[in-house]
Amino acid sequence: MRTAVGVLVLASLAALFALPSVLSAYYITLVLPAVAYAIALLGFNLLFGYTGLLSFGHALYVAVGAYGAAVLSSKLGIKSFELVLLLSGAAAVAAAIPVALLSVRYEKIFFGILTLAFGMLFHSFLFKFYDITGGDTGIRVLRPSLFGNEFKDLDKTAFLVGPFYYYCVGLLAVLGFVMWRIVHSPFGLHLVASRENRRKSEYLGVRVRFFRLIAFSISAFYCAVGGAILAINTGQADPELAYWTHSGELVFMAVLGGFANFFGPLVGAFTFIFLKSELMGITQFWRFWLGLTLIVIVVLFPRGLVGLGQDLWTRLHRQ
Amino acid sequence: MLAIQNLAVDIQGSLILRGISLEVGPGELVCLVGRNGAGKTTTFRTIMGYLRPVSGTIGFRDKSLVNLPTYRIAQLGVGYSPEESQVFADLTVAENIELPTWTRKGGRPAKERIDLAYDIFPKLRQYAHRDGDQLSGGERKMVSIARALALDPQLLLLDEPFEGLSPAIIPSIIGGIASIQKLGHGILMAESNVHHIPEFADRIYVLERGEIIYQGKPGDTYPPEVMKVVTGGA
Repeated sequence: MRTAVGVLVLASLAALFALPSVLSAYYITLVLPAVAYAIALLGFNLLFGYTGLLSFGHALYVAVGAYGAAVLSSKLGIKSFELVLLLSGAAAVAAAIPVALLSVRYEKIFFGILTLAFGMLFHSFLFKFYDITGGDTGIRVLRPSLFGNEFKDLDKTAFLVGPFYYYCVGLLAVLGFVMWRIVHSPFGLHLVASRENRRKSEYLGVRVRFFRLIAFSISAFYCAVGGAILAINTGQADPELAYWTHSGELVFMAVLGGFANFFGPLVGAFTFIFLKSELMGITQFWRFWLGLTLIVIVVLFPRGLVGLGQDLWTRLHRQ
Repeated sequence: MLAIQNLAVDIQGSLILRGISLEVGPGELVCLVGRNGAGKTTTFRTIMGYLRPVSGTIGFRDKSLVNLPTYRIAQLGVGYSPEESQVFADLTVAENIELPTWTRKGGRPAKERIDLAYDIFPKLRQYAHRDGDQLSGGERKMVSIARALALDPQLLLLDEPFEGLSPAIIPSIIGGIASIQKLGHGILMAESNVHHIPEFADRIYVLERGEIIYQGKPGDTYPPEVMKVVTGGA
Protein backbone atom coordinates (compact mmCIF):
# COMPACT_ATOMS: atom_id res chain seq x y z
CA MET A 1 0.00 0.00 0.00
CA ARG A 2 2.77 2.37 1.02
CA THR A 3 4.78 1.88 -2.18
CA ALA A 4 1.57 2.14 -4.20
CA VAL A 5 0.93 5.57 -2.66
CA GLY A 6 4.49 6.67 -3.43
CA VAL A 7 4.19 5.55 -7.05
CA LEU A 8 0.82 7.27 -7.38
CA VAL A 9 2.20 10.55 -5.99
CA LEU A 10 5.20 10.53 -8.32
CA ALA A 11 3.01 9.60 -11.29
CA SER A 12 0.58 12.44 -10.52
CA LEU A 13 3.45 14.91 -10.25
CA ALA A 14 4.92 13.69 -13.54
CA ALA A 15 1.49 13.99 -15.15
CA LEU A 16 1.14 17.56 -13.87
CA PHE A 17 4.52 18.44 -15.34
CA ALA A 18 3.63 16.78 -18.65
CA LEU A 19 0.18 18.38 -18.96
CA PRO A 20 1.19 21.53 -20.92
CA SER A 21 2.48 19.39 -23.77
CA VAL A 22 -0.85 17.52 -23.94
CA LEU A 23 -3.54 20.01 -23.03
CA SER A 24 -4.45 23.32 -24.59
CA ALA A 25 -3.61 26.60 -22.87
CA TYR A 26 -7.24 26.97 -21.80
CA TYR A 27 -7.10 23.82 -19.70
CA ILE A 28 -3.76 24.77 -18.20
CA THR A 29 -5.27 28.04 -16.95
CA LEU A 30 -7.80 25.78 -15.23
CA VAL A 31 -5.16 23.48 -13.73
CA LEU A 32 -3.31 26.49 -12.34
CA PRO A 33 -6.09 27.48 -9.89
CA ALA A 34 -6.47 23.81 -8.97
CA VAL A 35 -2.77 23.77 -8.05
CA ALA A 36 -3.30 26.99 -6.05
CA TYR A 37 -6.25 25.48 -4.17
CA ALA A 38 -4.32 22.27 -3.61
CA ILE A 39 -1.63 24.28 -1.80
CA ALA A 40 -4.20 26.25 0.19
CA LEU A 41 -5.98 23.03 1.16
CA LEU A 42 -2.79 21.39 2.38
CA GLY A 43 -2.79 24.14 4.99
CA PHE A 44 -6.52 24.17 5.55
CA ASN A 45 -6.52 20.45 6.23
CA LEU A 46 -3.75 20.67 8.80
CA LEU A 47 -6.32 22.56 10.82
CA PHE A 48 -9.45 20.68 9.73
CA GLY A 49 -8.38 17.07 9.18
CA TYR A 50 -5.48 16.80 11.61
CA THR A 51 -6.36 19.27 14.35
CA GLY A 52 -10.12 18.80 14.12
CA LEU A 53 -10.88 22.53 13.89
CA LEU A 54 -13.26 23.41 11.06
CA SER A 55 -12.68 26.98 9.96
CA PHE A 56 -15.35 28.77 7.97
CA GLY A 57 -13.14 31.78 7.46
CA HIS A 58 -10.00 30.62 5.73
CA ALA A 59 -10.79 32.55 2.56
CA LEU A 60 -9.49 35.47 4.63
CA TYR A 61 -5.92 34.16 4.34
CA VAL A 62 -6.34 33.30 0.65
CA ALA A 63 -7.38 36.93 0.20
CA VAL A 64 -4.44 38.21 2.26
CA GLY A 65 -2.16 36.28 -0.10
CA ALA A 66 -3.92 37.69 -3.17
CA TYR A 67 -3.96 41.29 -1.91
CA GLY A 68 -0.39 40.83 -0.70
CA ALA A 69 0.65 39.92 -4.24
CA ALA A 70 -1.39 42.87 -5.57
CA VAL A 71 -0.02 45.50 -3.19
CA LEU A 72 3.56 44.27 -3.43
CA SER A 73 3.57 44.08 -7.23
CA SER A 74 1.52 47.08 -8.32
CA LYS A 75 1.97 49.50 -5.41
CA LEU A 76 5.44 48.71 -4.08
CA GLY A 77 6.99 47.51 -7.33
CA ILE A 78 8.29 44.23 -5.91
CA LYS A 79 8.67 41.77 -8.76
CA SER A 80 10.33 38.74 -7.22
CA PHE A 81 7.70 36.03 -6.77
CA GLU A 82 9.76 34.41 -4.01
CA LEU A 83 9.67 37.67 -2.05
CA VAL A 84 5.95 38.10 -2.78
CA LEU A 85 5.23 34.61 -1.41
CA LEU A 86 7.31 35.13 1.72
CA LEU A 87 5.90 38.58 2.49
CA SER A 88 2.24 37.70 1.78
CA GLY A 89 2.69 34.50 3.74
CA ALA A 90 4.13 36.49 6.63
CA ALA A 91 1.23 38.96 6.39
CA ALA A 92 -1.23 36.06 6.55
CA VAL A 93 0.51 34.66 9.63
CA ALA A 94 0.40 38.13 11.22
CA ALA A 95 -3.33 38.34 10.44
CA ALA A 96 -3.89 34.80 11.70
CA ILE A 97 -2.25 35.15 15.11
CA PRO A 98 -4.78 37.52 16.72
CA VAL A 99 -7.69 35.54 15.21
CA ALA A 100 -6.14 32.27 16.36
CA LEU A 101 -5.39 33.59 19.86
CA LEU A 102 -9.10 34.07 20.36
CA SER A 103 -10.48 31.17 18.30
CA VAL A 104 -8.31 28.30 19.56
CA ARG A 105 -9.81 28.78 23.00
CA TYR A 106 -12.92 27.24 21.47
CA GLU A 107 -13.77 24.11 19.52
CA LYS A 108 -16.41 22.82 17.12
CA ILE A 109 -19.19 25.23 16.14
CA PHE A 110 -17.85 28.07 18.30
CA PHE A 111 -14.52 27.91 16.53
CA GLY A 112 -16.28 27.76 13.15
CA ILE A 113 -18.49 30.76 13.88
CA LEU A 114 -15.63 32.85 15.22
CA THR A 115 -13.50 32.24 12.14
CA LEU A 116 -16.54 32.96 9.95
CA ALA A 117 -17.04 36.28 11.73
CA PHE A 118 -13.43 37.32 11.26
CA GLY A 119 -13.64 36.35 7.59
CA MET A 120 -16.68 38.58 7.12
CA LEU A 121 -15.00 41.44 8.95
CA PHE A 122 -12.10 41.26 6.54
CA HIS A 123 -14.42 41.09 3.54
CA SER A 124 -16.18 44.29 4.68
CA PHE A 125 -12.81 45.94 5.13
CA LEU A 126 -11.78 45.05 1.56
CA PHE A 127 -15.17 46.10 0.24
CA LYS A 128 -15.59 49.41 2.05
CA PHE A 129 -12.11 50.90 2.37
CA TYR A 130 -12.03 51.96 -1.23
CA ASP A 131 -8.90 54.10 -1.00
CA ILE A 132 -6.75 51.32 0.37
CA THR A 133 -8.24 48.22 -1.22
CA GLY A 134 -9.90 49.45 -4.39
CA GLY A 135 -13.33 48.38 -3.11
CA ASP A 136 -15.28 46.01 -5.33
CA THR A 137 -12.85 46.36 -8.25
CA GLY A 138 -9.90 45.31 -6.14
CA ILE A 139 -6.26 45.80 -7.11
CA ARG A 140 -4.40 44.77 -10.22
CA VAL A 141 -1.67 42.14 -9.85
CA LEU A 142 1.38 42.47 -12.04
CA ARG A 143 3.32 39.60 -13.47
CA PRO A 144 6.13 38.58 -11.12
CA SER A 145 9.64 37.46 -11.90
CA LEU A 146 10.60 33.86 -11.15
CA PHE A 147 14.07 33.40 -9.67
CA GLY A 148 14.87 36.87 -11.01
CA ASN A 149 13.81 35.98 -14.56
CA GLU A 150 11.07 38.22 -16.02
CA PHE A 151 10.32 36.25 -19.24
CA LYS A 152 9.75 39.51 -21.12
CA ASP A 153 9.54 37.75 -24.48
CA LEU A 154 6.43 35.77 -23.39
CA ASP A 155 2.89 37.19 -23.51
CA LYS A 156 0.64 36.88 -20.48
CA THR A 157 -0.90 33.50 -21.32
CA ALA A 158 2.39 32.00 -22.46
CA PHE A 159 3.94 33.09 -19.16
CA LEU A 160 1.09 31.62 -17.08
CA VAL A 161 0.86 28.27 -18.84
CA GLY A 162 4.63 28.06 -19.25
CA PRO A 163 7.18 28.98 -16.58
CA PHE A 164 4.62 30.10 -13.99
CA TYR A 165 2.74 26.81 -14.25
CA TYR A 166 5.88 24.71 -13.77
CA TYR A 167 6.94 26.93 -10.90
CA CYS A 168 3.61 26.42 -9.13
CA VAL A 169 3.62 22.66 -9.63
CA GLY A 170 7.14 22.62 -8.17
CA LEU A 171 5.88 24.71 -5.27
CA LEU A 172 3.05 22.24 -4.70
CA ALA A 173 5.56 19.39 -4.59
CA VAL A 174 7.85 21.19 -2.13
CA LEU A 175 5.08 22.47 0.14
CA GLY A 176 3.35 19.08 -0.05
CA PHE A 177 6.54 17.37 1.09
CA VAL A 178 6.98 19.87 3.94
CA MET A 179 3.37 19.32 5.05
CA TRP A 180 3.87 15.55 4.88
CA ARG A 181 6.80 15.93 7.26
CA ILE A 182 4.81 18.26 9.53
CA VAL A 183 1.84 15.90 9.96
CA HIS A 184 4.11 12.92 10.58
CA SER A 185 6.33 14.73 13.08
CA PRO A 186 5.73 14.65 16.84
CA PHE A 187 4.07 18.05 16.36
CA GLY A 188 1.53 16.50 13.97
CA LEU A 189 0.83 13.65 16.36
CA HIS A 190 0.27 16.17 19.17
CA LEU A 191 -2.39 17.76 16.97
CA VAL A 192 -4.05 14.42 16.25
CA ALA A 193 -4.02 13.50 19.94
CA SER A 194 -5.55 16.82 20.96
CA ARG A 195 -8.16 16.54 18.20
CA GLU A 196 -9.50 13.42 19.83
CA ASN A 197 -9.60 14.73 23.35
CA ARG A 198 -8.22 18.05 24.44
CA ARG A 199 -8.21 17.40 28.17
CA LYS A 200 -6.70 13.95 27.86
CA SER A 201 -3.74 15.30 25.91
CA GLU A 202 -3.23 18.14 28.39
CA TYR A 203 -2.97 15.52 31.13
CA LEU A 204 0.04 14.23 29.22
CA GLY A 205 1.66 17.62 29.01
CA VAL A 206 0.54 18.67 25.52
CA ARG A 207 0.25 22.47 25.19
CA VAL A 208 -2.96 22.21 23.23
CA ARG A 209 -3.71 25.90 22.66
CA PHE A 210 -0.15 26.71 21.70
CA PHE A 211 0.06 23.86 19.20
CA ARG A 212 -3.29 24.83 17.72
CA LEU A 213 -2.07 28.40 17.34
CA ILE A 214 0.97 27.14 15.43
CA ALA A 215 -1.20 24.89 13.22
CA PHE A 216 -3.51 27.84 12.51
CA SER A 217 -0.56 30.02 11.50
CA ILE A 218 0.91 27.36 9.20
CA SER A 219 -2.49 26.89 7.55
CA ALA A 220 -2.78 30.65 7.00
CA PHE A 221 0.64 30.68 5.33
CA TYR A 222 -0.33 27.91 2.92
CA CYS A 223 -3.63 29.63 2.11
CA ALA A 224 -1.79 32.87 1.35
CA VAL A 225 0.57 31.10 -1.05
CA GLY A 226 -2.48 29.64 -2.82
CA GLY A 227 -4.10 33.09 -2.85
CA ALA A 228 -1.04 34.74 -4.42
CA ILE A 229 -1.04 32.17 -7.24
CA LEU A 230 -4.78 32.68 -7.82
CA ALA A 231 -4.35 36.45 -8.00
CA ILE A 232 -1.48 36.25 -10.47
CA ASN A 233 -3.48 33.82 -12.59
CA THR A 234 -6.44 36.22 -12.86
CA GLY A 235 -4.32 39.39 -12.71
CA GLN A 236 -6.63 40.79 -10.08
CA ALA A 237 -7.20 40.63 -6.30
CA ASP A 238 -10.86 41.27 -5.59
CA PRO A 239 -12.94 41.13 -2.40
CA GLU A 240 -14.92 38.07 -3.55
CA LEU A 241 -11.83 36.08 -2.61
CA ALA A 242 -12.54 36.89 1.04
CA TYR A 243 -16.28 36.28 0.86
CA TRP A 244 -17.64 33.55 3.14
CA THR A 245 -18.86 31.41 0.23
CA HIS A 246 -15.23 31.15 -0.81
CA SER A 247 -14.41 29.78 2.66
CA GLY A 248 -17.26 27.36 2.07
CA GLU A 249 -15.63 26.20 -1.16
CA LEU A 250 -12.47 25.31 0.75
CA VAL A 251 -14.55 23.17 3.10
CA PHE A 252 -16.36 21.67 0.08
CA MET A 253 -13.08 20.65 -1.57
CA ALA A 254 -11.73 19.08 1.61
CA VAL A 255 -14.92 17.06 2.15
CA LEU A 256 -15.20 16.10 -1.53
CA GLY A 257 -11.71 14.62 -1.63
CA GLY A 258 -11.80 13.30 1.94
CA PHE A 259 -10.29 15.25 4.82
CA ALA A 260 -9.30 12.12 6.74
CA ASN A 261 -6.56 11.41 4.22
CA PHE A 262 -3.46 13.49 3.52
CA PHE A 263 -4.10 13.50 -0.24
CA GLY A 264 -7.88 13.84 -0.04
CA PRO A 265 -8.02 17.66 -0.15
CA LEU A 266 -5.63 17.70 -3.12
CA VAL A 267 -7.90 15.34 -5.05
CA GLY A 268 -10.83 17.47 -3.89
CA ALA A 269 -9.26 20.68 -5.21
CA PHE A 270 -8.68 19.28 -8.70
CA THR A 271 -12.07 17.57 -8.88
CA PHE A 272 -13.92 20.65 -7.65
CA ILE A 273 -12.30 23.05 -10.11
CA PHE A 274 -13.01 20.81 -13.09
CA LEU A 275 -16.47 19.83 -11.94
CA LYS A 276 -17.35 23.47 -11.44
CA SER A 277 -16.02 24.63 -14.80
CA GLU A 278 -17.60 21.74 -16.71
CA LEU A 279 -20.96 22.21 -14.97
CA MET A 280 -20.86 25.94 -15.61
CA GLY A 281 -20.34 25.18 -19.30
CA ILE A 282 -23.29 22.78 -19.44
CA THR A 283 -25.94 24.38 -17.30
CA GLN A 284 -26.74 27.56 -15.48
CA PHE A 285 -27.96 25.41 -12.58
CA TRP A 286 -24.41 24.36 -11.77
CA ARG A 287 -24.83 25.32 -8.13
CA PHE A 288 -27.68 22.82 -7.87
CA TRP A 289 -25.52 20.00 -9.23
CA LEU A 290 -22.57 20.94 -7.02
CA GLY A 291 -24.88 20.91 -4.01
CA LEU A 292 -26.24 17.53 -5.03
CA THR A 293 -22.70 16.17 -5.39
CA LEU A 294 -21.88 17.31 -1.87
CA ILE A 295 -25.00 15.64 -0.47
CA VAL A 296 -24.15 12.35 -2.20
CA ILE A 297 -20.56 12.51 -0.92
CA VAL A 298 -21.53 13.26 2.66
CA VAL A 299 -24.31 10.65 2.82
CA LEU A 300 -22.79 7.80 0.81
CA PHE A 301 -19.02 8.40 0.88
CA PRO A 302 -18.21 10.34 4.03
CA ARG A 303 -14.51 9.58 3.51
CA GLY A 304 -14.64 11.40 0.20
CA LEU A 305 -13.24 10.37 -3.17
CA VAL A 306 -9.99 9.12 -1.68
CA GLY A 307 -11.91 6.98 0.82
CA LEU A 308 -13.93 5.57 -2.07
CA GLY A 309 -10.70 4.81 -3.94
CA GLN A 310 -9.23 3.07 -0.89
CA ASP A 311 -12.33 0.87 -0.56
CA LEU A 312 -12.10 -0.13 -4.23
CA TRP A 313 -8.40 -0.88 -3.81
CA THR A 314 -8.95 -3.20 -0.82
CA ARG A 315 -11.83 -4.91 -2.60
CA LEU A 316 -9.69 -5.55 -5.68
CA HIS A 317 -6.87 -6.94 -3.60
CA ARG A 318 -9.08 -9.27 -1.63
CA GLN A 319 -10.12 -11.08 -4.78
CA MET B 1 6.41 14.81 47.63
CA LEU B 2 2.71 15.53 47.25
CA ALA B 3 1.13 17.43 50.11
CA ILE B 4 -2.50 18.50 49.97
CA GLN B 5 -3.89 20.66 52.75
CA ASN B 6 -7.48 21.67 53.47
CA LEU B 7 -8.40 21.39 49.83
CA ALA B 8 -11.93 22.56 49.04
CA VAL B 9 -13.37 22.32 45.53
CA ASP B 10 -16.68 23.58 44.29
CA ILE B 11 -18.35 22.37 41.09
CA GLN B 12 -21.23 24.56 39.92
CA GLY B 13 -22.21 25.67 43.36
CA SER B 14 -21.90 22.43 45.28
CA LEU B 15 -18.91 21.74 47.46
CA ILE B 16 -17.44 18.44 46.25
CA LEU B 17 -14.31 18.44 48.40
CA ARG B 18 -14.65 19.87 51.90
CA GLY B 19 -11.14 20.48 53.10
CA ILE B 20 -9.22 17.28 52.55
CA SER B 21 -5.58 16.79 53.47
CA LEU B 22 -3.32 13.98 52.35
CA GLU B 23 0.29 13.17 51.65
CA VAL B 24 2.27 10.92 49.33
CA GLY B 25 5.98 10.38 49.85
CA PRO B 26 8.58 9.06 47.38
CA GLY B 27 8.18 5.32 46.82
CA GLU B 28 4.89 5.26 48.64
CA LEU B 29 1.68 3.68 47.44
CA VAL B 30 -1.23 5.61 48.87
CA CYS B 31 -4.85 4.65 48.24
CA LEU B 32 -7.85 6.89 48.21
CA VAL B 33 -10.92 4.78 48.92
CA GLY B 34 -14.48 5.91 48.55
CA ARG B 35 -17.78 5.26 46.84
CA ASN B 36 -18.73 6.70 43.48
CA GLY B 37 -19.30 10.39 43.91
CA ALA B 38 -17.18 10.66 47.03
CA GLY B 39 -14.74 13.02 45.30
CA LYS B 40 -11.86 10.78 44.20
CA THR B 41 -11.82 11.85 40.56
CA THR B 42 -12.40 15.47 41.61
CA THR B 43 -9.28 15.22 43.77
CA PHE B 44 -7.25 14.01 40.79
CA ARG B 45 -8.64 16.61 38.41
CA THR B 46 -7.85 19.33 40.91
CA ILE B 47 -4.28 18.11 41.32
CA MET B 48 -3.98 18.19 37.53
CA GLY B 49 -5.19 21.78 37.41
CA TYR B 50 -8.34 20.99 35.50
CA LEU B 51 -10.46 22.19 38.41
CA ARG B 52 -9.57 25.21 40.53
CA PRO B 53 -9.80 24.86 44.30
CA VAL B 54 -11.82 27.33 46.38
CA SER B 55 -9.25 27.09 49.14
CA GLY B 56 -6.39 24.94 50.30
CA THR B 57 -2.96 24.13 48.94
CA ILE B 58 -1.45 21.48 46.69
CA GLY B 59 2.31 21.22 47.02
CA PHE B 60 4.45 19.04 44.78
CA ARG B 61 8.16 18.90 45.60
CA ASP B 62 7.94 22.28 47.37
CA LYS B 63 6.11 23.91 44.46
CA SER B 64 2.49 24.94 44.48
CA LEU B 65 0.40 23.40 41.72
CA VAL B 66 -2.60 25.66 42.28
CA ASN B 67 -3.36 27.87 39.28
CA LEU B 68 -0.83 26.22 37.00
CA PRO B 69 -2.17 25.09 33.60
CA THR B 70 -2.71 21.33 33.20
CA TYR B 71 0.09 20.77 30.70
CA ARG B 72 2.60 22.48 33.04
CA ILE B 73 1.64 20.20 35.90
CA ALA B 74 2.18 17.18 33.66
CA GLN B 75 5.53 18.57 32.54
CA LEU B 76 6.59 19.04 36.19
CA GLY B 77 6.33 15.27 36.57
CA VAL B 78 2.82 14.31 37.59
CA GLY B 79 1.57 11.39 35.49
CA TYR B 80 -2.17 10.81 35.41
CA SER B 81 -4.05 7.78 34.17
CA PRO B 82 -7.72 8.78 34.24
CA GLU B 83 -10.58 6.37 34.82
CA GLU B 84 -12.57 6.91 31.64
CA SER B 85 -11.49 5.67 28.18
CA GLN B 86 -7.86 6.59 28.10
CA VAL B 87 -6.15 5.73 24.85
CA PHE B 88 -5.93 7.89 21.74
CA ALA B 89 -7.78 5.82 19.14
CA ASP B 90 -6.09 7.50 16.18
CA LEU B 91 -2.58 6.83 17.43
CA THR B 92 -0.91 3.43 17.62
CA VAL B 93 -0.01 1.93 20.98
CA ALA B 94 3.63 2.84 20.33
CA GLU B 95 2.72 6.46 19.53
CA ASN B 96 0.48 6.65 22.59
CA ILE B 97 3.39 5.62 24.78
CA GLU B 98 5.89 7.81 22.97
CA LEU B 99 3.79 10.99 23.21
CA PRO B 100 4.83 11.99 26.76
CA THR B 101 8.51 11.71 25.86
CA TRP B 102 7.98 14.64 23.49
CA THR B 103 6.01 16.79 25.88
CA ARG B 104 8.41 16.38 28.77
CA LYS B 105 12.06 16.48 27.85
CA GLY B 106 15.00 16.15 30.16
CA GLY B 107 15.73 13.56 32.77
CA ARG B 108 16.26 10.12 31.35
CA PRO B 109 16.49 9.55 27.58
CA ALA B 110 13.26 8.82 25.73
CA LYS B 111 14.22 5.28 24.77
CA GLU B 112 14.88 4.31 28.36
CA ARG B 113 11.52 5.72 29.44
CA ILE B 114 9.66 3.87 26.68
CA ASP B 115 11.49 0.60 27.41
CA LEU B 116 10.62 0.94 31.07
CA ALA B 117 6.94 1.40 30.24
CA TYR B 118 7.02 -1.78 28.14
CA ASP B 119 8.98 -3.65 30.81
CA ILE B 120 6.19 -2.99 33.29
CA PHE B 121 3.57 -4.28 30.87
CA PRO B 122 5.49 -6.64 28.53
CA LYS B 123 2.27 -7.75 26.83
CA LEU B 124 2.01 -4.34 25.17
CA ARG B 125 5.02 -5.02 22.95
CA GLN B 126 2.87 -7.34 20.84
CA TYR B 127 0.33 -4.59 20.30
CA ALA B 128 2.76 -1.77 19.61
CA HIS B 129 1.56 -1.15 16.07
CA ARG B 130 -2.13 -1.54 16.67
CA ASP B 131 -4.37 1.48 16.75
CA GLY B 132 -5.74 2.51 20.11
CA ASP B 133 -9.29 1.54 19.19
CA GLN B 134 -8.36 -2.09 18.58
CA LEU B 135 -7.61 -2.90 22.21
CA SER B 136 -9.62 -4.56 24.94
CA GLY B 137 -10.49 -2.70 28.13
CA GLY B 138 -7.62 -4.28 30.06
CA GLU B 139 -5.11 -3.49 27.35
CA ARG B 140 -6.30 0.10 27.21
CA LYS B 141 -5.81 0.37 30.95
CA MET B 142 -2.26 -0.91 30.59
CA VAL B 143 -1.51 1.53 27.77
CA SER B 144 -2.90 4.35 29.87
CA ILE B 145 -0.68 3.49 32.85
CA ALA B 146 2.34 2.78 30.63
CA ARG B 147 1.84 6.13 28.93
CA ALA B 148 1.61 8.01 32.21
CA LEU B 149 4.81 6.21 33.20
CA ALA B 150 6.62 7.23 30.01
CA LEU B 151 6.23 10.83 31.19
CA ASP B 152 8.93 9.83 33.69
CA PRO B 153 6.80 11.14 36.54
CA GLN B 154 7.86 11.42 40.16
CA LEU B 155 4.22 11.03 41.08
CA LEU B 156 1.68 8.80 39.40
CA LEU B 157 -2.06 9.26 39.81
CA LEU B 158 -4.11 6.17 38.99
CA ASP B 159 -7.87 6.55 38.95
CA GLU B 160 -9.54 3.17 39.55
CA PRO B 161 -7.00 1.11 37.61
CA PHE B 162 -9.04 -2.10 38.09
CA GLU B 163 -12.41 -0.68 37.17
CA GLY B 164 -14.27 -2.85 34.67
CA LEU B 165 -11.42 -5.31 34.23
CA SER B 166 -11.69 -9.08 34.29
CA PRO B 167 -10.23 -10.53 37.52
CA ALA B 168 -7.73 -12.45 35.39
CA ILE B 169 -5.96 -9.29 34.32
CA ILE B 170 -5.90 -7.51 37.69
CA PRO B 171 -2.77 -9.34 38.97
CA SER B 172 -0.71 -8.09 36.02
CA ILE B 173 -1.80 -4.50 36.73
CA ILE B 174 -1.00 -4.97 40.45
CA GLY B 175 2.39 -6.38 39.42
CA GLY B 176 2.92 -3.28 37.29
CA ILE B 177 2.05 -0.99 40.18
CA ALA B 178 4.47 -2.84 42.47
CA SER B 179 7.34 -2.42 40.03
CA ILE B 180 6.55 1.28 39.56
CA GLN B 181 6.69 1.71 43.33
CA LYS B 182 10.06 -0.04 43.48
CA LEU B 183 11.44 2.61 41.12
CA GLY B 184 10.87 5.18 43.84
CA HIS B 185 7.86 6.86 42.27
CA GLY B 186 5.06 7.97 44.54
CA ILE B 187 1.66 6.56 43.60
CA LEU B 188 -1.75 7.87 44.54
CA MET B 189 -4.42 5.41 43.56
CA ALA B 190 -8.20 5.70 43.79
CA GLU B 191 -10.33 2.65 44.42
CA SER B 192 -13.95 2.10 45.36
CA ASN B 193 -13.53 -1.33 46.85
CA VAL B 194 -11.11 -1.91 49.72
CA HIS B 195 -10.69 -5.56 48.75
CA HIS B 196 -8.96 -4.50 45.55
CA ILE B 197 -6.27 -2.57 47.35
CA PRO B 198 -2.85 -4.21 47.12
CA GLU B 199 -1.70 -5.34 50.56
CA PHE B 200 1.63 -3.57 50.06
CA ALA B 201 -0.06 -0.15 50.10
CA ASP B 202 1.55 2.20 52.61
CA ARG B 203 -1.53 4.11 53.62
CA ILE B 204 -5.20 4.40 52.86
CA TYR B 205 -7.46 7.42 53.12
CA VAL B 206 -11.20 6.88 53.14
CA LEU B 207 -13.14 9.62 51.39
CA GLU B 208 -16.84 10.09 51.97
CA ARG B 209 -18.88 13.04 50.70
CA GLY B 210 -15.82 15.15 50.17
CA GLU B 211 -14.26 14.52 53.58
CA ILE B 212 -11.55 12.17 54.74
CA ILE B 213 -13.25 10.09 57.45
CA TYR B 214 -10.48 7.61 58.10
CA GLN B 215 -6.78 7.17 57.65
CA GLY B 216 -4.89 3.95 58.27
CA LYS B 217 -3.11 0.93 56.86
CA PRO B 218 -4.56 -1.84 54.72
CA GLY B 219 -5.48 -4.87 56.77
CA ASP B 220 -6.45 -2.78 59.80
CA THR B 221 -9.78 -3.52 61.38
CA TYR B 222 -11.90 -0.66 60.18
CA PRO B 223 -14.57 1.00 62.31
CA PRO B 224 -18.09 0.01 61.16
CA GLU B 225 -18.94 3.33 59.52
CA VAL B 226 -15.82 2.98 57.40
CA MET B 227 -16.59 -0.66 56.57
CA LYS B 228 -19.91 0.44 55.15
CA VAL B 229 -18.13 2.73 52.70
CA VAL B 230 -15.05 0.81 51.74
CA THR B 231 -16.53 -2.53 50.65
CA GLY B 232 -18.07 -0.85 47.68
CA GLY B 233 -21.58 -1.06 49.11
CA ALA B 234 -21.50 -4.88 49.27
